[in-house]
Amino acid sequence: MKLAYYPGCVSRSTGKEMDVSTRIVCAALGIALQELEDWNCCGATHVPSELVSVGLAARNLAQTDLPIMTSCSICYSNLRSAALTMEDPQVRAKVNAVLTKKYSGAQIRHALDVILEVLEKNDELITVPLKDLKVAPYYGCLLTRPRGGIDQPEFPTILEKLIKTLAAEPLDFRLKTFCCGGPIFMPQEQAAEDIAFLILKEAKKAGAEVIVTVCPLCHLMLDAKQKALEQRYGEKIGIPVLYVTQLVGIALGLNPDELGLEMNAVSPMPVVEKVYEKMAEEA
Amino acid sequence: MAADEEFKQEVLRLAGPEVLTCIQCGTCSASCPTAHLMKPSIRRLVKHCLEGKKEEALRNETIWLCTSCQLCTVRCPRGIRPKAVVTALKELAEREKIKGKDQAYEELFQRQIKDYGRIAEILLSGEFMFVFPQGALQSMELGLEMAPKGKIKLAVEKIRGRDEVRRIMEELGKG
Repeated sequence: MKLAYYPGCVSRSTGKEMDVSTRIVCAALGIALQELEDWNCCGATHVPSELVSVGLAARNLAQTDLPIMTSCSICYSNLRSAALTMEDPQVRAKVNAVLTKKYSGAQIRHALDVILEVLEKNDELITVPLKDLKVAPYYGCLLTRPRGGIDQPEFPTILEKLIKTLAAEPLDFRLKTFCCGGPIFMPQEQAAEDIAFLILKEAKKAGAEVIVTVCPLCHLMLDAKQKALEQRYGEKIGIPVLYVTQLVGIALGLNPDELGLEMNAVSPMPVVEKVYEKMAEEA
Repeated sequence: MAADEEFKQEVLRLAGPEVLTCIQCGTCSASCPTAHLMKPSIRRLVKHCLEGKKEEALRNETIWLCTSCQLCTVRCPRGIRPKAVVTALKELAEREKIKGKDQAYEELFQRQIKDYGRIAEILLSGEFMFVFPQGALQSMELGLEMAPKGKIKLAVEKIRGRDEVRRIMEELGKG
């Protein structure tokens, strides 16, 4: 399988482990990624003009004829929204008038869905089954919104499906599609932190050994900020938060450093050790 | 104050004519993750727009508490996109030159896209510190967490297609 890859701005900095693990897991699964030529920011959630937002995303979509894959839910949602909006001939004409390469349609995929498709057909690649590992599936908001993407927006199940494929146990996680607050965390710190901590507390209550995310902003709120949130709200959480590509990578037997696991704030190493111990026990 | 019909029509143009069909059921407010902090609520914000109450609709914290999660939009029984109403109001606030820390953040974000084509997160949070020094603690906390892990990159990546990106923002930004 050959896909164009849209890394997104965070891939260069705060979401580096998302990018590192995406590339190595795809290579291990035989998915050839070709980084999108001269890609630009999708606008995230900070461009108030819808038309500008569509234009920014459309410039990316026009760079390739291949299906475009991204690991970031925000980019995924924006690229997909743009493709939906560009179905309107009036909008398409307006946007194409300013684009150098013209947009003529695109297929957009999230890494989660690409990886699951390959794994379901090749489960022999799972050399380190994540047996008995209790995983909280955290979708966040934009993976499934707007409608019509990877799964339904209210009760998606695709992450649970992937977790089961890896032989781990998906928990019934009530806040799985509740927004993490990330998009407003800079100017509205308190509001964003309140909801992020609510999600962490709920994961702890559910008995999660690990939380799995599909978005770098969710990851920042739940992982990079976890220690600060614990201090602020006076309650220990101590749950590692893995990108879905990192979780898959562990099950594929890839090394922790290849998956950027040392870049996570809450160390996932106890989880990795547990998984390997379990495998040794059963052997 | 008299209803501002021009303002109402501009919101409808930007957010869609279906906003007129709002039945004020409150599903949007009930779905919103930051509803408990909003005054006015998102439901009332839509009402303000339909009643042409420009000042009430534009000068509030509500539009800046929206996380863009789109749950309101997914659930609205009338097919309205309350999130698009918020987005429209942000655009109108920008036109009216209503300044604040939240608006400043969006402006910095957009300026980076215009200048570089991409976002340099570390530079962005640094620039935001000058606008909103109270947010410095959070940025420093995150910096201390991420720096030893090699996740803080100071260099700015500039894309080749910057002129095209600028054109997209300027031309399409006219509406």
